[in-house]
Amino acid sequence: MALISAALGRLGQALLLLIAMSLIGFIGIHSIGNPVFNIVNIETATPEDIQRATVALGLDQPIWRQYLLFVGSVVHGNFGTSYIYHLPALQLVMSKLPATLELACMAMLIAAPAGTGVGLLAGRRKGTRLDRTILKSSVFALSLPSFWLSMMLILIGAILTGWFPSGGRGATARVMGQEWSVLTLDGLWHMALPVLALAIPNIALIARLARAGTIEVESLDFTRFCRAKGLSPRRILLRHTLPNISMPIVTIIGLQFGGMLAFAVVVESIFSWPGVGKLLIDSIQLLDRPVVMATLTFISVVFVALNAFVDLFHAVLDPRVRLPS
Amino acid sequence: MMNLRNSLHRLTLSASLILLAMWTVLAGPVRAQELRIATSYKLMTLDPHYANLNENTSLLSHIYERLVYQDERLDLKPGLAVSWRATSDTQWEFKLRENVRFHDGAAFTADDVVYTIERIRDFLNTPNGGFRSYLTGIKAASAPDPLTLVIDTDGNVPNLPLALSSIFVMHRPEGEGFQTTEDLNAGNPPDGTGPYRFENWRSGEMLKLTRNEDYWGRKPAWSTVTFRIIENPAARVAALAAGDVDLADTIPARDVASLKQRGVKIENISAARINFLQFDVERDTLPGVTDKSGKQIPNPFKNPAVRRALAMATDRAILADKILAGYGTAAAQIFPAGLPGTSANLRPEAPSYKEAKELLATAGFPNGFKVVLAGPAGRYPGDGESLQAIAQSWARIGVAVQPAAFPFSVFNTKRASGDFAVWYGGASGEAVDIILHALLASSNAERGTGALNFGHYRNQAFDGMLAKAESIADGPERNKALADATEVVMADQPIIPLYHLHHIVGFGSRVGSYVMHPRGWTTAMQALPVTE
Amino acid sequence: MKALILRALNRRPPLPALTLSGIILATFVLMALIAPVVAPQNPYDPLQIYGWEASSPPGTRGSGGYLYLLGTDGLGRDIVSCILYGLRISLMVSVTSAAIAALIGLTAGVSAAYFGRWVDIVIMRLVDLQLSLPTILIALIAIVTLGPGIDRIILALIIAQWAGYARLARSVALSETNKSYMDAALLMRLPTSRIILRHLLPNSIAPAVTLIPIEIGHAIALEATLSFLGLGVPIDKPSLGSTVANGFQYLLTGQYWISLFPGLALFGLIASINLVGEHLRRRLDPRSRPI
Repeated sequence: MALISAALGRLGQALLLLIAMSLIGFIGIHSIGNPVFNIVNIETATPEDIQRATVALGLDQPIWRQYLLFVGSVVHGNFGTSYIYHLPALQLVMSKLPATLELACMAMLIAAPAGTGVGLLAGRRKGTRLDRTILKSSVFALSLPSFWLSMMLILIGAILTGWFPSGGRGATARVMGQEWSVLTLDGLWHMALPVLALAIPNIALIARLARAGTIEVESLDFTRFCRAKGLSPRRILLRHTLPNISMPIVTIIGLQFGGMLAFAVVVESIFSWPGVGKLLIDSIQLLDRPVVMATLTFISVVFVALNAFVDLFHAVLDPRVRLPS
Repeated sequence: MMNLRNSLHRLTLSASLILLAMWTVLAGPVRAQELRIATSYKLMTLDPHYANLNENTSLLSHIYERLVYQDERLDLKPGLAVSWRATSDTQWEFKLRENVRFHDGAAFTADDVVYTIERIRDFLNTPNGGFRSYLTGIKAASAPDPLTLVIDTDGNVPNLPLALSSIFVMHRPEGEGFQTTEDLNAGNPPDGTGPYRFENWRSGEMLKLTRNEDYWGRKPAWSTVTFRIIENPAARVAALAAGDVDLADTIPARDVASLKQRGVKIENISAARINFLQFDVERDTLPGVTDKSGKQIPNPFKNPAVRRALAMATDRAILADKILAGYGTAAAQIFPAGLPGTSANLRPEAPSYKEAKELLATAGFPNGFKVVLAGPAGRYPGDGESLQAIAQSWARIGVAVQPAAFPFSVFNTKRASGDFAVWYGGASGEAVDIILHALLASSNAERGTGALNFGHYRNQAFDGMLAKAESIADGPERNKALADATEVVMADQPIIPLYHLHHIVGFGSRVGSYVMHPRGWTTAMQALPVTE
Repeated sequence: MKALILRALNRRPPLPALTLSGIILATFVLMALIAPVVAPQNPYDPLQIYGWEASSPPGTRGSGGYLYLLGTDGLGRDIVSCILYGLRISLMVSVTSAAIAALIGLTAGVSAAYFGRWVDIVIMRLVDLQLSLPTILIALIAIVTLGPGIDRIILALIIAQWAGYARLARSVALSETNKSYMDAALLMRLPTSRIILRHLLPNSIAPAVTLIPIEIGHAIALEATLSFLGLGVPIDKPSLGSTVANGFQYLLTGQYWISLFPGLALFGLIASINLVGEHLRRRLDPRSRPI
């Protein structure tokens, strides 16, 4: 029963978050400027053109009315029509989703095992030169601003060596009604640099967690006991250490996955990867309010859902989680 | 295809078949007559009447055609109409081309043009509405016979053929009513008369076309044309350099040198457009204009001598050569010299700081003043950088400039609400008179003038000359009158023309030649394959 | 707190890395402070910039009589000077915003813990709201809503960062309220303001202080990212982030110096702050796990 009330509380909180987000986003976009100027050709438009466009988009209405109309249609699952692309906003966001998803998944697929491996290595050799090097490198990796990291990857991987393309998505294959780059060699080729840009900070983060966890587990009595019992180090690692440090790692993977969706804003703009993040930045710059609102709502929902999933995972797998933390 | 059939080619073909099959997986097939273009123009809709932006019209001109074309000299040439004449002061007659068929096989008739005009004028309520203004003078359109179009106008409309050079002709569908934008976007195949047929598209991502084998004109050169919409200039350049595409438009000037090194061919042309600084010459005081101590001063730009001094202190060569890396032409008038309606007497001047400073002193500002120079950021090539380069120039005569760049829509919102004193702007159009009409003529709702005259500049002598020029039919006489009017207004310096941007296109080895168009369109029709 | 530091220092001898990263950080700060004196050029003064010398490679001698040691950007600004002045902006923005965010967050967190009930509920709901979204997104929304400008960036960063401090301060303060000296203070009927100011706040500061260097590092990266996205500092007052961003368009043509060197400075600054912060944290809060 506690689980249900917790879930209800979560849901209420998520709703509150969405309402707050939508209000701030709506008023924010409204206060920046008038999207009409991005829709008419300002170099040739007459005042009548501008007026007509304003009415056609419903922008002549007072802002509170526009918001209520917006909320009303969102309840029916309709975020409005993109001012720029003249497509349903949510559909537009969803059409960009596979590109972002495959980027984030691929980055996590690399970051999780690499980070865990490096962290285990450092943790088991605590205090050695290897450990210190790994620890120091992780600080450096976490200090790289993601946009600069992306640019340096382009400089090294594309411009100086010419090994990888500097941007774009490359060839795609159509599966389940969506275009995917992972399924073509050319697409994978294009993914390499942006995936690295997303993965590197996460490798560092996961490595630090794995290292801390390993040190803690190895100092516990039962590990010493296992060792005293003469279990092979390999068995201790696989049967005891790894399961015990997996909890925080899974947590951080869940949280960082949401973070990747947000940080994709930067990486996608630099690599001109046509995903959700790039759509968000472009739409903010073009004041395409329906698309901005749909994208923000989508990212929030994903983030909240991931948080909830991580908590649920804890509750199910870790009996200690009910104790006060 | 024919010469592919000879045995030599067949030999090479079969030998490379396995290679080709592997390559297909890697990059998709590249057929001999396929043209792959990376364009900056994002195709937003398949409705040819939705938005009057190059973004749409450039790509849609493969599918749809116009009655009248503007060639590379901006002169009018027959399109779907073979000839036209004014039968009276208020009536035009167009003779239409015979044996033209829409992609669905139906014959093209004058009734389709009537449908097109009615759709734009009476039915569409697009937010952009840009095309409607071309048809404002039209009272009625009728089709006395299938190949004759008669248009009655309200009053004299001497440049109606020019106006129609922007209108794509659609096919009248079966039954009553009009096609909606949603229908067209949903993939009901767009039905035009153009040299290429619609294959498929993804809004803002790609457009695929195939050759129209029944095209009325010269056989289109490419069997298929694929447009990839790549808005990021760096990515577009990379795609061209890597050979992922055969042609890319809107190449940043700074990338030209390295592309040439890689064997990419480059074409460029001064665009039929102008970027300029515009002054508010009406209000008594202006936001952001103060003396050096920060005290508000009366509007200095009311005085033509101050505008003149600032023009003299503007180093256009730095803008054109450094910021645009040579792919801009320093400007002194509306269109690049040589195009219809331009004056040979107006030439860009080199900066003369000393004289400018003296002129500023005699105008009452020996110590200069402070001003905020506003502009859009990232809308035009080098816009933000231009503001800062101008600040460097004007600092030499004691005018302290604070450059302020805003996202384009913010810039426009602020300009419309009078937040700026002097700003960077851009204007483009089919002809010089259209820009003079909107940018420099006194605001007059009745005549429809001054839509872009945000500085509220008024010059009656110029207004009169422009009105007279506009009443003359297309031809050398009209062009001369426009050039004279331009000279008169430029002497007063209501704007400082800065530069004409260049359109730059790069293409790889599979394209033999490419003909640039000053309107900045990117089409497969302009590209010819390498002749074998 | 002093005792805490002494104890920590006694237990662990200072690592050479602390001194090295500390020295680097101190150099950065010093450079930022004396930038107008040491920079060959004032990149904010249009009269000192020579447009014709734009995009000069490193080592070119300029008309100003000095060497463009690291080249010039697309407008002719000396990169060395841009870095020095950019450091000033980055440090000013990040330190100011981190300090104010810490102050607001601490106050909010301690108040939530002390007053409980609806104060706690309101504050912690707000904190939860914010922490359930990535900070980059919050900063993005804030700066979009607030508009451009250095002051707005600081505000946006405060909005993005206060919640982290609040949650930490609340949890520390909650454990403090359970300690016996609090009972004593309450029994002595000390005034509320005195309890908060003299007891709760000082005891909650130590853990929060360890958070500040990390958050300064975050703030620098956030400011740079916002400027990179064109939502930050004014164009004629480049920060490190916007200098790197301006260089992006020149990257492909081989004019690497515009974004490489300012980026290195940015990276060095954040890395040294993070290294110093990590050591500081180990000393101040030996129980904490390194993350």
